[in-house]
Amino acid sequence: MTDGIHIHRRTAVSSLLALAATGAGFPVGAQAGRSALNLAMVAEPPTLDIQSTPADLVCIIMQHVYEPLYTFDAKAALVPMLAEAMPTISADGKVYGITLRKGVKLHSGRDLDAEDVVASLKRWMEVSPRGKSVGAQLADLSAKGPLSVEISLKNAYAPLLSQLAMASGMAAIMAKETLAQPLREFVGTGPYRFKERKPDQYVLLTRFDAYSARKEAASGYGGKRQATVEELRFVPVPNANTRVEGALAGQFHYADLLPIEALGRLEKAGGKAVPIMTPSFGFPYLVFNTKEGSMAQQPVRKALQTALGEGEMLAAGFGDTRFFIVEGNHFPKGTPFYSDAGTAAYNERDSKKSKTLAEQAGYKGEPVRILTSRQYDFHYNMALIMAEQLKRAGFKAELNVVEWATLLQRRGDPKLWDIYITHSGLFPEPMLSPPQLGEGAPGWWSSPAKQAALAALNQEPNPAKRGPLWAKVQQVVYDEVPYIQVGKFASLSARSPALQGYTPYTYPFFWNTSLKS
Amino acid sequence: MRIARYLLARLGGVLVVMAIVAVLVFVLTRAAPGDPISVLLGDQANAEDIARVQKVYGLDRPLPVQFGLWLRELAHGNLGESIFLQRPVTQALWERAEPTALLSLMAIAIAALIGVPCGIVSAVYRGSAIDQACTGFAMLGASVPSFWFGLVLMQIFAVSLGWFPVSGYGEPGASLAARIHTLVLPATVLGVLNSALIIRFTRASMLDVLGEDYVRTARAKGLPESRVVLKHALRNALVPIVTVLGLTAALMIGGAVVTETVFGLPGVGNLVVSAVIRRDYPVIQGALLVVAVIYVLINFGIDLLYTVVDPRVKV
Repeated sequence: MTDGIHIHRRTAVSSLLALAATGAGFPVGAQAGRSALNLAMVAEPPTLDIQSTPADLVCIIMQHVYEPLYTFDAKAALVPMLAEAMPTISADGKVYGITLRKGVKLHSGRDLDAEDVVASLKRWMEVSPRGKSVGAQLADLSAKGPLSVEISLKNAYAPLLSQLAMASGMAAIMAKETLAQPLREFVGTGPYRFKERKPDQYVLLTRFDAYSARKEAASGYGGKRQATVEELRFVPVPNANTRVEGALAGQFHYADLLPIEALGRLEKAGGKAVPIMTPSFGFPYLVFNTKEGSMAQQPVRKALQTALGEGEMLAAGFGDTRFFIVEGNHFPKGTPFYSDAGTAAYNERDSKKSKTLAEQAGYKGEPVRILTSRQYDFHYNMALIMAEQLKRAGFKAELNVVEWATLLQRRGDPKLWDIYITHSGLFPEPMLSPPQLGEGAPGWWSSPAKQAALAALNQEPNPAKRGPLWAKVQQVVYDEVPYIQVGKFASLSARSPALQGYTPYTYPFFWNTSLKS
Repeated sequence: MRIARYLLARLGGVLVVMAIVAVLVFVLTRAAPGDPISVLLGDQANAEDIARVQKVYGLDRPLPVQFGLWLRELAHGNLGESIFLQRPVTQALWERAEPTALLSLMAIAIAALIGVPCGIVSAVYRGSAIDQACTGFAMLGASVPSFWFGLVLMQIFAVSLGWFPVSGYGEPGASLAARIHTLVLPATVLGVLNSALIIRFTRASMLDVLGEDYVRTARAKGLPESRVVLKHALRNALVPIVTVLGLTAALMIGGAVVTETVFGLPGVGNLVVSAVIRRDYPVIQGALLVVAVIYVLINFGIDLLYTVVDPRVKV
């Protein structure tokens, strides 16, 4: 609650005089005796329920409060977090035995047990879109002892552990007595505990002194987590320029997702702020309506794919070449899922060939409705270029620019669009994104080739063999064109020189960081 | 008796305005495309997920039923609960009342302190360099975008000089003085830009009055010029000035959105805009109703103030 709006004139005047007399300096950083990080975020989080939404912002904040059973280390390999070790997996790949670490404290003070894990995972499978896809594979989920959980699947499902480890839309382990819909209490096991949310002002987390850290060295999201700083204050600062100015003024120890144009100023800031580039942060992609409309037929989609110049689109979307990579491989070089399968069809920009293919496919000038929004400038800028490329190839491209809430609703109706533009973070497991690889996502892609390729990928437990199997899926995506991965983009953020030990990741975290006095 | 009747009539007017606003706001928010649950669940939710959560919030019911339920709650003084903020709308509004009220007060004070003297001087020295400067400033104020002016002030006073915070409404547990401190730059932006209108109204109103016979008479009596201008002329020119001050204050309750966004202030304008973007129906409906009532009350206050500044105006 606020202190009310009534102030005495004398109080106000004397306050202002006092401020003037003290030079009116803003108390940057901690209050006396308490270390705190001011972290400028892009918006007010839509919810604090990390299970129910894949929103990055919710994940960035609440991953400090909740932990998963497994997570990814610096090399994107799966490592245990709340689980004691990697699970035992039956020979047929259907039964996973998970043992929890002993003595892990919940923020309520109670020890975490298997019942919390079972109840949390069951909730996740009900409320999370990704959880539901895992739930569809589930035969049984039960506690086999105080610290022992067993997951039985209908069929072998190799992405299970990655799904359990993913930070956004997290399979977060919560105190079972707090589980509700909507969630009202936020009791997890993380190095920080939830203290207060003041909408449009801050979400305040404080150090959890009884945190049970792992013993292994910190690596990526894995290993030992240590809360050195006492308070984390996630402050919504929706205006991107204000986040830049706040970083330069030293008001924020970290400012998330800054406009690319700010890089020059940050570099010339004389050490007041340190720019952070996160390469291969994510990928923009175009989703095709395979159910109805002008893009329902695969040969027409193939013709359209031929017309596209993804390089031009990325240049329009991101400008500075340091912030995008023109490459058709869905996963970067050097990662287990890298493949160039199908990439001959990437960035062709051949309007003549496209026109011929479209004619052969029976395209007769039906409108191609491109649904996009200006929520993200790069979506809109890419859409403009794409529309021109399509027109050059004889497609009747129509831009339908709506705001984000409308886009999210309209993409659910196959009668309203043919292509929509969105983007995703780049994750270490193919099945984590985009959702079109699953069933029922907008676009409604379903085909025998898809089912066969994904079944082979998902049922192969050996990570070494999954790479080549992903290549086959990527080939099917290029052949059937349910979506087009436009390329990769990097993100720009900034930190204060006082923030030490920060390592950039897709979902920035602030355990294992410290504050230089 | 006459005052009681007048107050009763105005109260009736407030109720009619509220009823019209309630119907309009409900119909318009539901007629707009988009829905809160798609936003809440994010990019990966499918139609089935959205339908399930819509049921939790009662958004699957027919619109007339939803409207009826909302009206029933309104009759009990309950504006509903925000889908995103997980708190009652009244609480969300109350939390934003302080920054909005303080910002409006500070801005209107700055606007009046600049606008009224400039307008008077400009009228008294009509055609002079000082008049040109004041009217030029008024033109500039009317045409400069608030976000640009805000960023310029931020660059100078927050980033370079470090006198004020760039953004926010104080740290957790900040004192009232610290919170007021965060409002100095945004209030200056709003105050300076709004002073343009006040300069022009004051100047025009003063020019009208300065040409009146009684001003000539006052001068002929040998009264000092300052007394002629400040007592005889200004007093009679006040009605339109008070009107424009009141309207400016009313607009700031929900209309300082750009300034609030640039300075990251948790005000009512910001709340309404966020709610519209997210389609948080209860917040949009509740906030607009409350803002409408405040608007009507401020206008009512201005009407009462007329009787103070001009005894010829009767209730």
